[in-house]
Amino acid sequence: MKATNPSLPQESHQFHKTRSMRKRELKNFGNLLLNIPLLLIILVPLIYTVSISLVNTDEVYKTLLFPHSIQFGNYVNAFTNPSYSFLRYIGNSFIVSTSVMLCQMVTASMAAFAFVFLEFKGRKLLFLAVLATMMVPGESTIIANYLTVARWGWTNSLHVLIIPYMTSAMGIFLLRQSYMTFPKELKEAATIDGCGNWRFLLTIALPLSRPALGALGAYVFLNTWNQYMWPLLTTDSDAYRTVQVGISMLYDIDAQSMGLMMAGVVIVIVPSLSIFVFMNKQLINGLMAGAVKG
Amino acid sequence: MARATRVPTPVLRTRKTFYQIIEPYLFLLPALAVFAVFLYYPFGRTIYLSTWVTDALGRPKKYVGFDNYSIRLFGKPDFWASLGSTLQFVGVVALGGLIVGMITSLLTYNRYKGSDFCAAVYAMPVAIASAAASMAFRMIFHPTGGLLNNLMGTQINWLGGTYQFWSVAMVTIWLQSGINFIFISAGLKGVPTELYESCSIDGANYWQRLFHITLPAISPTLFFQIIINIINAFQSFSQVKLLTNESPNSSTNLIVYAIWHDAFRAQRFETAAARSVVLFVIILIITLIQFSFEKRSVNY
Repeated sequence: MKATNPSLPQESHQFHKTRSMRKRELKNFGNLLLNIPLLLIILVPLIYTVSISLVNTDEVYKTLLFPHSIQFGNYVNAFTNPSYSFLRYIGNSFIVSTSVMLCQMVTASMAAFAFVFLEFKGRKLLFLAVLATMMVPGESTIIANYLTVARWGWTNSLHVLIIPYMTSAMGIFLLRQSYMTFPKELKEAATIDGCGNWRFLLTIALPLSRPALGALGAYVFLNTWNQYMWPLLTTDSDAYRTVQVGISMLYDIDAQSMGLMMAGVVIVIVPSLSIFVFMNKQLINGLMAGAVKG
Repeated sequence: MARATRVPTPVLRTRKTFYQIIEPYLFLLPALAVFAVFLYYPFGRTIYLSTWVTDALGRPKKYVGFDNYSIRLFGKPDFWASLGSTLQFVGVVALGGLIVGMITSLLTYNRYKGSDFCAAVYAMPVAIASAAASMAFRMIFHPTGGLLNNLMGTQINWLGGTYQFWSVAMVTIWLQSGINFIFISAGLKGVPTELYESCSIDGANYWQRLFHITLPAISPTLFFQIIINIINAFQSFSQVKLLTNESPNSSTNLIVYAIWHDAFRAQRFETAAARSVVLFVIILIITLIQFSFEKRSVNY
C-alpha cells in the first residue's frame, strides 16, 4: 500500500490502521459469537438452578432462566429446618473429604518415596501391584467392599467413608513423578550427612513436592466431596449422610420442595466450584494425572 | 559418629541392620494395606461370590460354579438388553464428549478478548458432581414446569419413555465435556506451530488445515480421550438412578445401575457379583486395547 501510494503516506497509514483495528475487533466479536451456543449449554443449567432456588414458590414452574422475584427462604430452610440437617451433611462431607485428602497425601508420599529412593527386594513386583489397581474399576469391587464393611459393622460411620479411600495409585504415581525429578545427589548427600529416610521425606522431599501435593489434594478433596455411590451404600442415617446423598434425598414433589432442592444443589456446588476457581492449576494437574486411572 | 566415619556406601550396604531391611516395606505398608483390604481382597471376593448362591446378606450358601453367569445372566434377555443399552450409551457419550471437547478446544485455541473466560466455562463441569448435576437437570427436564418445556412450550416427559436415554446421555456428555475440553485443548496446544506455518504458505484454508494437520497431529490425544470417555461412561451410576428416579427403562438400565439394583433392590448379591466381573472384564479389554495402541503409537 505504501509503495502504490507514496504521496499520501500519512493518510494511508492511518486508514490501514483503523481498518485493521476494526477488522480485529470484528474478528474478536465473531469469535465470541461462535462461543455463545456452547457457553449457554454449560452455563444455563447453573444459572437456572440458582434462579429456581431464589424465586417465589408460585413462580417455580414459570421461570425462564432469570427470577422475577427474589427470596432466600429456601436457603434459610435448608440450614435451619431440623428435618434437613444440611449443616450436618456439609460438616460430614468436609470431615470425610479433608481426612481422605490428608491420608492420601501421607500414604502416597511414603509409598512413592520407597519406590523412588529405596532399594529393596520385590520393588518391581510391588510397583506392578500398585499399577494393577488402576485396571480395576471401583464399581466392580463396590459390592464386595460393601459386604466386608457391613460384616464388620462399619456401616453408618464416618470412618467407613474414609478408610477405604486412604490411598490411591494415582497419588503414588503423582508423587513418584515429582520425586523422580530430584537430582540423584540430593538423597546421597543427605544420607552421607546422616539424614535418615524419614527425616529426608519430611524435611526435604515433602516441601520440594509441594506442587504435586497440591494437585493431589485439590483432586482428591473434590472427588471425595462429589462422591455418591459409596456413601449411598454405606450410610443411611442422617448423622453420617454426606452432601451428595443428602441433596438426592430431597424430592421434587411440589414447587416448594423444588426450590429447596435447587438451594441444596447450589450449596453443595459452591465448594466444588471454589476449588475449581481458586485451585484451578492444581486441580487440572491432578485431573490430568487422575484421568490415566480407569 | 561411627556412621560419619564409614562413608563408602558398599560398607553400609553389607551391614544392614534388621530395621534397615524392613524400612522400605514400612514406607509401603499403609498404602499396600489399604489396597489389600479394599482392592485385592474384594476383587477376589467378587469372583468368588459370583460362583455361589448367596443369601439376602450376601453370604455364600451354595456353590453353583458358572451358573450365575450362564443361567442368571447370559440366559436372560434382560442381561443382553442391559449390556446393549450400556454399549449404545457408552458409544453416544464417548463420541458426544469428544465432539464437544473438540469444538470447545478449537473455539478457544486462539487468544482473544474473552477467550480465557470461555475456556474456564468449558472446563467447569469437571468440578461438578454428577449427583448434584442430575438433581439440577431433573428440574430442567421437569415434565410440566421445567426450563426445557417452558422454552419449547411443550409438556414432554423428558425423563421417561424414548427420551429417557437421550436425557441421561446428554447430562453425561455435559458432565464429561470439561475433561474432554481440558485434554483436547492441551493436545492442541502441543501441536508444533511449524506444522501450520508451512501449510499457511501453501494457502490452505481453515478446514483443510483442521483435517490434514490438526486432527492427525492430535490423534493420540483423541484416542486417549475416547478411552477415558468409554471407561467413565461405563461407570455412570448417579445420573441413571437420580434422573430416572430409580425406574430406568431398558434403554437406560446401564450396567453399574443393574449391579446396584441386583444387590440392593433384588438382594441378589451373586448376580451383582457376576455382573461386576463382566464390567471388570470389559474395562480390562478396553485398557489392554489402549496399552497395545499406545505401544504402537497412533500416527504422529
